[in-house]
Order: sequence, then structure tokens, then C-alpha cells
Amino acid sequence: MRRSRAFQTFKRKYVWVFFVAPAVVVLLGIVIFPLIFSLSLSLHEWNIIRAGGWNWTGLDNYAMILFMDPYFRTALKVTFLYLAGTVPVQFALGLAVALILYRITRKIIGFLRTSLVFPSIMTPIVVGIIWRLMYNPDMGMLNYFLKLLGLPPVNWTGSPLSALPSVMMADIWEWTPFMALILLAGLQALPKEPYEAAIVDGASAGQVLRYITLPLLSPVMIVAILIRLMDSFKTFDLIFVLTGGGPGMSTEILNYYTYRYGFKFFHMGYASALSWLLVVTVTVIALILIKTMRSRGIYAAGG
Amino acid sequence: MGFITGKIKKIIFVVLTVIVFGIILFPPFVLFLTSVKTDIDALAFPPKWIFKPTIKNYVQIFQTSPFLRYILNSLIVASLNTFIALVLGSLAAYGLARYTFKGSENISFWILSIRMMPPVAAIIPLYIIMKNLHILDTPWCLVLIYLTFNLPFTVWMMKGFFEDVPREIEESALIDGCSEFDVFRKIALPLVSPGLAATAILVFIFSWNEFLFALILTGTRATTLPVGIILYMKETGINWGYMTAGGILALIPVVIFTMLVQKHLVKGLTLGALK
Repeated sequence: MRRSRAFQTFKRKYVWVFFVAPAVVVLLGIVIFPLIFSLSLSLHEWNIIRAGGWNWTGLDNYAMILFMDPYFRTALKVTFLYLAGTVPVQFALGLAVALILYRITRKIIGFLRTSLVFPSIMTPIVVGIIWRLMYNPDMGMLNYFLKLLGLPPVNWTGSPLSALPSVMMADIWEWTPFMALILLAGLQALPKEPYEAAIVDGASAGQVLRYITLPLLSPVMIVAILIRLMDSFKTFDLIFVLTGGGPGMSTEILNYYTYRYGFKFFHMGYASALSWLLVVTVTVIALILIKTMRSRGIYAAGG
Repeated sequence: MGFITGKIKKIIFVVLTVIVFGIILFPPFVLFLTSVKTDIDALAFPPKWIFKPTIKNYVQIFQTSPFLRYILNSLIVASLNTFIALVLGSLAAYGLARYTFKGSENISFWILSIRMMPPVAAIIPLYIIMKNLHILDTPWCLVLIYLTFNLPFTVWMMKGFFEDVPREIEESALIDGCSEFDVFRKIALPLVSPGLAATAILVFIFSWNEFLFALILTGTRATTLPVGIILYMKETGINWGYMTAGGILALIPVVIFTMLVQKHLVKGLTLGALK
């Protein structure tokens, strides 16, 4: 009897292992093991097409990337421009849209909210096709609108100057509604009391926005920006369909450069080293995001 | 005076709202419009607004290209992946939500951080591993690999749903002599079934939409829908009819499913960062 009670306590204490272990084992197998594999590969030189094994090169790949690879620098610059030109714009526009929609209390808000969701949950490849259609220099809608306004046509994704802004514009279309949706949910979950107090004190609409709404909304804003920042590094589908990284390298962000090194040039070691630089960068943002999530529960009205 | 400014303000808001949603809805509308045009109408400039719609593209895409196979491949991959992610994920989520042990929070956040990894980082080693296992270009390969993002997502979502359910019912069942696993299966799981359904739908959509892994890990046999659609974009030119019709067909399940999970979308899209 006593032994069985001891067994019961043991069981109660460690039963979680049986629940959690299968998922953890699978994740170790399909994520952690491959990542370690790629870390090791990044210390070697290996072309998957040419015959021959892995050649140990130590940190050569990383040194090459950081100090000798001009294309890496270009990709880094494009990545920076891409992030700087999309995430802040999405945030500003998204906040504006959220503040407009926040005032709508009629039934139509349900339809509007559903429309906001679509761009971010649509198959990204199809978003790319949509914009390829819009940007088509011969029959696209955008050049048609320019013509209506009496402006000359633009070779949107075809010229090195306009290609990156074109991809960014499509990205902004795809993700601004996501920002708006999150910020709207955040607005709707704000407590009512500070507003009542502000009305009693005779605060203006601008003051309410500046001193109450924005500070209260800041945790939601931080989460929204961090998520977008993290995901922007991983942009692939849109670039693949719209430009394939070109013309030249004008739209080749780091993520795309890594893909091309691995699967067009087949330099798996070098590409692994590139991908590890990406992992480190994204992990830093992810850790900040997780830290924000851990330090406080952030509430937003769902749906 | 105040009445008039109020009215002007209201009109401005309505106009702004219409503009915003015009911008959101117009591009997909153009996709649809092109998909029901003949090849000649589709290439016309200025674009034709009035034309005789045709379903030619929707019929021919099935007749002259393996579009049905792309759909079936996508369905197989997405359904199997959803099933496995849900089984493994809800078990783990229950364990993490109900048993607070040393490091349980760390495990939870470790799992969440996996969801945030850039897929490009995993694709090189996974390609080599799958090649050596000889399962490249099979649905099984994608079923397994989509777990890299869908399993952490499921764990994280379901953990939230389990935490929202009071544990008293489960505790009384345990005292009555039910085994832990029975409590999970017969009591806890039915209680979170709406959350389970929402998670399943989101996981399905993520698999359905995935492109990068499918592009690299499939060749000719296991081609999924997004990769299949891209094949209509050739060096010699783009088959706009097929591309747009294929795009619309790919979006249909996504649109229907999205409407079903409205309530959980903010939570889902922010990985539970916002509750």
C-alpha cells in the first residue's frame, strides 16, 4: 500500500513527461538536429553538385561573408532598406486605420474586420501573382491609373530603381491590414476608466490620444512591430514571384541571397553560414519579443 | 456650427474607410476579373471593364494541366500535417498547461521560439537529410517538415485554451480514479474543442499556403498548389489565365476557413502574444 502511494506521487510528479515528450522529441529531430547539422556544415566547404566530401574550413565561411563578400553587403543593404521602408510605414498606416475603424460601432465592422484579415492570411504566392498582375507594364492596373492621370508608364518591377519600392509597396499592402487588425483589437481592449476621467477633466481629443490611448496601447504596438520586424527578415514568396531578387541584386534581401547560394549555386557550407547569421539576427528579435510576452500579459479583444 | 463640423468629420471618416477598403479589396478583385477573361481580353490595354465573362480558364486548367493533382497533394499534406500537429501538440500543450514543473515555462517559450525561426535556416540541412532518407518529392516529407512551424504553433495555441478552462472538473475526475490520460481525452479535450477546431483550421491554412519548403523539397510528383501555380510562369511567358484562375481556386478554402475562425485570428496571427 505504501509503495503504491509512493508510486502515485511519483506518477503525479512526472506524468507531464508523457504528455510533453513526444512533441519535444519530434522538434529535437526536425529542428534542433538540422540546426546543429547546419552549424557544422557552415564550418565546412561543400558543393553538393561536385563530387567530394566536406572540407573543414573552420570559420572561413563566416570571415568571407563578413569581410570579403561584396554581394553580402549589397544583400544586407537591401534588407535594411526593405525593413526600414515597410515596417514603419505599415505601423503608421495600420495605426491610422485602427483609429478610424475604432469609431465604427455599426454591424459593418464585422465585414471590415474580415477584410482586414484577408491580405495577411492569403496564400503569399497568390499575393505575389496579384501584384505581378497589377505591376505588369503592358496591361497592369497601375500603369492604367497613371495613364488616366496623364502620367507616363513605369516599368515597376523591371527597373533596378523602382523594383525594390514596388516589392515594398506590395508588402505594405499585404501587412498593413494585419497591423491595423492587431492595433484595433488592442484599442478595443483598453480600459474605459481613464477616458471617463479625461472627459471629466475636459481633455481635448488630441490630448486623449497623446496622453491616454497611445501610452496604454504601447505594449500591443511593441508586439505588433516586433512580429512584423521578425517576419520581414523571412520575406521570400513575394520576392520570388515579383522579381526573383532582380533586376541585378536590387531586391535580394539576405533571406533570398541565402536561398540562392544554397539552391542555385549549391555552396551548402557557405549558405549554411549565411543562414546562421540570419538565425542569430532573428533570434535576437524573437528573444526581445518573448521577453515582452513573459514580463506582462498583453490583452487585446480577440476577433 | 458644432453640428456641421460633426457632420463633416463623419463624412471624412466614411470616405477614408471606403478608400482604405477599396485599396484592400481592389487587387484581389483584379485577380478575379482577369481569371474570368479570355486571353485576348486579359491582355487588353486599357483594361476592359465590360466583357463577356468565361469559365474557360477554370475548365482548361484541370483539363490541360495537372492542377487536380496539385490540389490533391496540397490536401494530403495539409490534412495529415494538421492531424499529427494536433495530436502531438495538444498532448504537449495539456502537459505544459496543467503540470507546472521546474522549467515548464522555459520549455513553453523554447517551443514558441522554434516557431519564429527563419525557414531558410532549416531548409539546407533538411534538404540533405531528406535526400539521404530518399523521401524527397513525396508528401510525407512535407507532412513531417511542416511540423517545424505547425507543431510549435499548436502547442502554443492549445496551451492558451487549456489554461482558460478551470481545472476543478479534471481534478475531481482524477480523485474519482480516472487515469491522467483519460482525463485529458474524455474531459479536457472536449472542453477545448472550439479552440481545437480553430487551431486545426489555422494549421491547415499555414500548410496550404507554404511555398519555400514545397519549392525545394518537391520535384514533379509531390508538387503542391502554390508551387504548381508558379509553374504557369515560364521563361516563354506567363499564362495569366491559368495563374489567376489557379490563384482564385487556392484562395477559396482560405477565405471560407478564415470566416470560420474570426474569433481566434488575432491570437493566432500573433502566436498568442495577444490574448
